[in-house]
Amino acid sequence: MNSIDDFLILLRDDLGLPVTGADVGAGLDRVPGWDSVHLLSLLALLERTTGRALPLVEALEAGSLEEIYALAVAS
Amino acid sequence: MTGASGSERLVESGPATLVELHREGRLVREYPGVRQLLAGASDAELARAGQLLARLDPGEVAAEHPAVPVVTVAVTGHGTLAPLLPPLTVELARHGLLLRPRLGDFDAYVFDLADPCGELYRADLALCVLDPMVVFDEVPVPWGPEDVERVARERIGTLAGLVARFVESARGTLVLNTLPLPRRFAAQLVDHRSRARLGVVWREANARLLRLAEEHDRVVVLDLDPPAGEGVPVVEPRLSQYTRTHLSPALLAAYAREIGHLARHRAGQGKKALVLDLDGTLWGGILGEDGPDGIEIGADGTHRGGAHHAFQRVVGQLASQGVLLAAVSKNDPEPVGEVLRGHPGMFLREDDFVRVVANWRPKHDNLTELAEALNLGVDSFVFVDDSPYECGLVRHELPGVAVVPVSGEPALHIEALLRDGWFDAPELTREDVTRVAQYRDELVRKDFLDSFDSLEEYLRQLRVEVQLVEAGPAEVARLSQLALRTNQFNQTTLRLGPAEVRALLDDPAARVLAVRAADRFGDNGVVGAVFTHRRGDTVHIDNFLLSCRVFSRGIEQTALCAVLRHARAHGARAVRANHRATPKNTKVKDFYPRNGFAPVTDDGTTVTYEHGLEVLPVPPAHVHFTEIPGDDGS
Repeated sequence: MNSIDDFLILLRDDLGLPVTGADVGAGLDRVPGWDSVHLLSLLALLERTTGRALPLVEALEAGSLEEIYALAVAS
Repeated sequence: MTGASGSERLVESGPATLVELHREGRLVREYPGVRQLLAGASDAELARAGQLLARLDPGEVAAEHPAVPVVTVAVTGHGTLAPLLPPLTVELARHGLLLRPRLGDFDAYVFDLADPCGELYRADLALCVLDPMVVFDEVPVPWGPEDVERVARERIGTLAGLVARFVESARGTLVLNTLPLPRRFAAQLVDHRSRARLGVVWREANARLLRLAEEHDRVVVLDLDPPAGEGVPVVEPRLSQYTRTHLSPALLAAYAREIGHLARHRAGQGKKALVLDLDGTLWGGILGEDGPDGIEIGADGTHRGGAHHAFQRVVGQLASQGVLLAAVSKNDPEPVGEVLRGHPGMFLREDDFVRVVANWRPKHDNLTELAEALNLGVDSFVFVDDSPYECGLVRHELPGVAVVPVSGEPALHIEALLRDGWFDAPELTREDVTRVAQYRDELVRKDFLDSFDSLEEYLRQLRVEVQLVEAGPAEVARLSQLALRTNQFNQTTLRLGPAEVRALLDDPAARVLAVRAADRFGDNGVVGAVFTHRRGDTVHIDNFLLSCRVFSRGIEQTALCAVLRHARAHGARAVRANHRATPKNTKVKDFYPRNGFAPVTDDGTTVTYEHGLEVLPVPPAHVHFTEIPGDDGS
């Protein structure tokens, strides 16, 4: 996963979320089709894709998809 | 799938095609093809597909595809259980089923099990997902094994009481599970004596849970020790701590897989026959090239021969429980017969198979003919082959056949075969154990038929005897099995579990009649059932079932005539019966009209027929019938 576009593809093709670039910065409660289960699925998926453990507490407390992406790609 | 090109693509990369369908917004429309897209998918691909499929609205899918069987699954339990829904969705989809999920509130299992008006009581399958925290959430610190014992006893005692209440009035099957013991608890006890004691206490608690399945025939308890023992992680500590998801995603996926098997059985789609390739599957090497002495098979200490022998023993074990075995092999028949009859290394013998087909024709043609000869749907077959080409071709030509590809590593054959619980059933019946002999008799009957010029003469010589008896407790398991497994001669596809059959036996307004049959070749046992109830002066046939083994011998007409005669003799003015059309029961569409019934209503799927009992049909002359008790024959 090298870019926010890869992240969007993952959200769409692996989680089935109908998201666009406009949704990544919005609050999670405004992401179409989003609920807390997606968060769990997304975190598991990111760990599988990146091969690294996410800081789970921060990820669970993230306010937007963009913040989650930043956590996933942070070195 | 639409179009041949789509079908060809999916054999190569089904899961990728599924993602494409999702992107194009076509998953709802193409749902019936999803089953095939998922055949052979890896665990990771199934996980991904589950996420996509779980986003679909089951109502929309059901509306667009009324023929897809819907299974309502209600989920309750202790922790966060929403993550179970994607794996459940995909596991049902793999079997051609549609999940209608009903998820209870967090940690609401006590309430849900006690609420007769809730979703749990109406579901086909009610899942109460238990986890170790059911106990450890209540254990104080510091704790010892005795604290765990006390809490476990209380929790399971409460559960046992709730289960007893549940099975009294719920309609479906309740699924519980054993509690795996994560190391993080055992390791908190520093002395080995206490640790051993914890092991005892914990296993006793699980044994109590497992016994609930012995006490109630509508309760299934999944034992999670086997998957945990194979290395499926029990807990993901972060998810458990932060999100109250106390079973790991991998264990939930394994759990969902088992639920898929139960749902398949519940929907009447259990598999009945295991069809095996020979070269590379049942033995190593190629018989045609290596000769009978060159193939690898036997318990004589050679590595590959031993692995194939071990596989044959597992196949034999399945066959002993009613799974029909057949072999379909690209070989000349003579050497195959020679090996099956006389090779010292073989565990399976010719007699273990209902039929051995060795020729050079395409395997899917052989499978189709075999299904016809056995009077089974080809989709009740499980096909095992080591050739990716043969597996792909059968999958493509016969999408309903469950294909189990095995590799060139025979030590892995057993796991491949058992992975999907193809033949899982809640319990075995006497008929299961004798099934292989019954089907062999059936093939002898067919040969016997071929020796006659006329069907009538054949039937006369067959000396069919039919008995219609009031069913009792001894018939419950078999009648439920017929109701769950019979697809072709099943007038309404009303699926009944053992408890539902038992409830009908106890209902004074209902009658459950078991059809027994025998002929010159042997006793067929209980081959059918008629479920009726009486309201006023009308007898209603709620369902009529007959095993596909014994169609078209006059047994069905004989039983129906007896029911009509009995109704009239007991003052009824009419007999009503329903036919609900399914893709599989077209053969019996005209059964009622052919026997003097007239249609009364037709809502597009269900036709209600009525017989006025003025002129009763005449039962076939070749059948010797024993009257139902209480029938005065007038």
